[in-house]
Amino acid sequence: MMKILFFGPVAERVGLREMQLDHRSGMVLQDVVAQLKAAYPAAFEIVCFTAVNETQTRDMQQLLNDGDEIVFMAKFSGG
Amino acid sequence: MTVMKSYLWQSFPGAKMSDAVRLQVDDFSVDQEMTALRATSLRIGGIASFTGCARDFSEGRNVMKISFDAYGKMALAELNRLRTEAIEKFQLIDARIVHRVGTVLAGDQIVLIVTGSEHRVAALDACHWLIDELKARVPIWKKEITPEGDSWVTPHP
Repeated sequence: MMKILFFGPVAERVGLREMQLDHRSGMVLQDVVAQLKAAYPAAFEIVCFTAVNETQTRDMQQLLNDGDEIVFMAKFSGG
Repeated sequence: MTVMKSYLWQSFPGAKMSDAVRLQVDDFSVDQEMTALRATSLRIGGIASFTGCARDFSEGRNVMKISFDAYGKMALAELNRLRTEAIEKFQLIDARIVHRVGTVLAGDQIVLIVTGSEHRVAALDACHWLIDELKARVPIWKKEITPEGDSWVTPHP
C-alpha cells in the first residue's frame, strides 16, 4: 500500500487528508497522478508540487515502492 | 483506493524552546528567542528579526482568524535546511525560525526569524532572504477566516 496525503486547499477540494492506494509492481508517479486526477479533477487544478517520501519531485516516471508516502500540494502560502 | 478518516490537524512532536527551528501551535516570545540567540556566542555584533503578524484586513475583507495547515515533517525539514543554508550563505553565527500552525487571531504573531552575525549587514540580509525563501519553499498553507466566508490565501510577494 502507498500512503497519499493532502493538505490545505488540496485537502479541502479532495475532501480528505489521507488515503491509501494499492501498489503494483512497476508503478510510476504518473500512474497515481492519472488515477487521482480523474477522481479529483478540481483538486489537481491547484496542485503545483509533488513529494515522495518528503522529497519534492517533478519526475513523473519515478518508480514507486510499496510503503511510499506521496503528497500533492498547492503553492505554499506560509509566513 | 482506501479512503482514510478525515482529520483536521496532524499532531506535531512537542517543540521545545531550546530548538532553534520550531513549528508550534502556541505563541512565541520575541524577547525569549532573541535572548536564546544572543546566548549562543559573545561574538554576535548584530541581531536582526522579522515577525510576521496576522492582518485584520485582506483583499477588501475583514479577517477574524487565520488557519494554518502544514505538511509537518517536510516543513520542519525544510525550515532546518533553510537555517543551515542561511548560516552558511551569510556567515551567520546563529539563526532561529519559529512558525505557528493551527488557528491564530487577527493581530497575533505568525512567524519569527532571528539572525545573529558579527556585523549588521549579514544579519539583516539573511533575515530578508530567510522569510522570502520560507514563503517559497516551506509547505505551509494559510486560510483567512472572514465574516463572508473562508478562503485559502494565494501567495504574493
